[in-house]
Amino acid sequence: MIIDQQKIDEAVSTIVGYGGQNILNCIQCGACSSVCPGIKAGFPLLCRNLIRHLLNGELEEIIEDSSSWGCQACNRCTEICPRDVRPQEVVFAFRRYQANELAFSTSSVTSQMNLYETGHAVFTDPSALRKQVGLPETTPTSAYDDKAKEEIQTLINNGPMGELGLF
Amino acid sequence: MAKVGVYVCHCGSNIAGVVDVAAVRDYAETLPDVVIARKDLFMCSDSGQEMVKQDVRDGVVDRVVVAACTPRTHEPIFRAAIEKAGLNKYLFEMANIRDQDSWVHGHDHEGATEKAKLIVASAVAKARNLEPLEDKFTPVTDAALVVGGGIGGISAALELANMGHKTYLLEKKPSIGGVMAQLDKTFPTNDCSACILTPMMVEAYNHPNIETMTYSEVDDVEGYIGNFTVKVRRKQTYVDWNKCTGCGDCASKCPSKTPDEFNAGLSDRRAAFIMFPQAVPKKAVIDIDHCINCGGREIGTEPKVNQKTGNPILAPCERACPADAINRSIAHDPKGSITEIEVGSIVVATGYQVMEKDWFKEMAPASPNVITALQLERIISATGPSEGKLLRPSDNEKPHTITFVSCMGSRDENFHTYCSRFCCMYMIKQARLLKEKYPQLTINMHFIDVRAFGKGYEEYYTGARTMGINFFKGKVGGLEMLPDDKLRVLAYDMESATNIEYESDLVVLATAVELPKDSVGLAQKLGLQFCGNNFFRELHPKLGPVETAVQGLFVAGCCQGPKDIPDTVAQAKGAAAAAAVPLAQGKVKIEPIISEVNPDICSGCGICVPLCPYNAISMKPTADGPRAEIEMSACKGCGVCTSACPSGAIVLHGYEESQIFAQIQALTA
Repeated sequence: MIIDQQKIDEAVSTIVGYGGQNILNCIQCGACSSVCPGIKAGFPLLCRNLIRHLLNGELEEIIEDSSSWGCQACNRCTEICPRDVRPQEVVFAFRRYQANELAFSTSSVTSQMNLYETGHAVFTDPSALRKQVGLPETTPTSAYDDKAKEEIQTLINNGPMGELGLF
Repeated sequence: MAKVGVYVCHCGSNIAGVVDVAAVRDYAETLPDVVIARKDLFMCSDSGQEMVKQDVRDGVVDRVVVAACTPRTHEPIFRAAIEKAGLNKYLFEMANIRDQDSWVHGHDHEGATEKAKLIVASAVAKARNLEPLEDKFTPVTDAALVVGGGIGGISAALELANMGHKTYLLEKKPSIGGVMAQLDKTFPTNDCSACILTPMMVEAYNHPNIETMTYSEVDDVEGYIGNFTVKVRRKQTYVDWNKCTGCGDCASKCPSKTPDEFNAGLSDRRAAFIMFPQAVPKKAVIDIDHCINCGGREIGTEPKVNQKTGNPILAPCERACPADAINRSIAHDPKGSITEIEVGSIVVATGYQVMEKDWFKEMAPASPNVITALQLERIISATGPSEGKLLRPSDNEKPHTITFVSCMGSRDENFHTYCSRFCCMYMIKQARLLKEKYPQLTINMHFIDVRAFGKGYEEYYTGARTMGINFFKGKVGGLEMLPDDKLRVLAYDMESATNIEYESDLVVLATAVELPKDSVGLAQKLGLQFCGNNFFRELHPKLGPVETAVQGLFVAGCCQGPKDIPDTVAQAKGAAAAAAVPLAQGKVKIEPIISEVNPDICSGCGICVPLCPYNAISMKPTADGPRAEIEMSACKGCGVCTSACPSGAIVLHGYEESQIFAQIQALTA
């Protein structure tokens, strides 16, 4: 790795611009990573390690990494952080950077499409199981409500997500 | 008419790098009454000072303005210079064109130069109106008070006493010794804490020049450098210390239990107790808050009489005492007694406390096997609850895996942003002691960084690595309680960027060092200020590390900021040396930049009295009613009374109305 101040400044301002305002507070203590379920699940570039790479000026180098999409937004990192870095905001800022560069992980495309089509990022068809236990086959949510789905799609099409041209 | 000389300093590039010094000099020459204006690379250098002195000696100037850095550090230098040349040293004014100008306006050279001109013009305007003033002197009481009987206070007291000054050593607990008395061994040499501390405690207690006052607190302070009157409240011991032999029989018979502070709450002590076996003085006290008045023996009441024998029914502590030192029939005053002492200087060395584990909810504080480092210190100490054997609190079993967690509450925006400074080292010390004694023990240490800052400390740390102690870089994020009193540690190894999860039998938290709560009240009584980290503020972080804003009042040890034993002792000896200066001089100088009341104008309204932060103003009766009077040795020249006086009766010498208005006029011209 070569230390290039211009790249470091660019990475920091990009993340700050996408909402990771406190990235420079980080002292690399690693408390966020010790509680992160994403890291336990095998996504290495989350929390402490992601911040380290960003503070090294790496953006393009890690743009294809899928770790950020493994973040479950549990917020434990932000709760434990002793420096008010709000690591989850940094992860989400990096995601926004990735999305704006159209560097979606395949793992994320499915959930984006789910969201567009059903209103749920994670969606499995519950009808068989519901029938088996004697419940109505459909759920009273957007997945089975055409009007709600249309509203969701209108919102997505007219928001920043729509501009990405995925749908 | 005044003859003002203006001397503009480059301060190397500090000022000249931003301000056009030549232009400021040229401008100064045009100001009224300025007879000469010069510039120099460093005005504070010998040659710079000589330039000023020569102009004074030649009779060219009789008022001096130096436009340079801060008067905080440099005003005394120039005052001394002109005094040496034969001019009254208060005919000097400093224009701060560095801190207030070049340092803050580095981006705007032109603007900074214009501002420098204004600052100089204002200083010249004041200098034209300056009057000569004379220093005054007041005699000193040749005695010192040291507040706090830990290693810092003991060191300072011994130093002062050895210099020949009468020294009062004040300690709020029944024994001197402080936190150091609770420690097992000390880094980086592993010498036994008690073995090196106890002889000093005894030496201080028996020193002919030291009067040790334990179980005592500062109740009130009046006066000023050289002449403090301190009211010391000796808390009620309910035991006659003149008779008590320290045998401990009362404690062994007392049935009332309460957590033992000396063992950090790991064991119980009795309501009648001796603080610890090596206590100095070794005297018992009755903790009346936890006393259950056995047999209805309330303090100050006559005992009931046994109907059969006709003998009085005494409480167990009274019966047990072979020296007849406990007599509950005496109406002891629960407030204790007040002694007044006169001292010339005061050293405050009140020490610290560590945060309790309950602050850290993610660290399973409910588990008895999560302990603070001070508690581990008691567990491994030979005088501790398990007599030095490593047993975990939940079941008194020997742990197999022990975890150390650093930076609990330190370097943390939610608690304390500072580094507590010595935790890294005591954790390593505890780990080393345990590994030496129990080689089979698995010891995992989790640090953000290892800060081994002192002499011999880095070697002590690297030595620990070679002993087979496991070090991990990365803060522990949480603990989970498991059914068998074990704890699951959620940690992280930064170097390999992977999670660590394992089960531990005992977890030690290195909790942050902080100022004890009751130090706030003491600070208010003494006029001590706090720094941003909520410790006592020293006068200057580098050049005045033991002095405070109150003259004659000095600080040492952890009450000024976290520090280990070597640093505490060093600072304590420094504070003792500084506190001895006024005592050795026998008199103290009072700068004449203080306020004075004109009794002919004073209406006696008394508004100024409660406003004075130094208690320097009192109302004195006169034939025309009360008039305010300012004790010149107590006045610090802050000017609060001057600005508040509705009659304009108080003048602050050196900042007189004519001088200030001239400055305002120059700034707004």
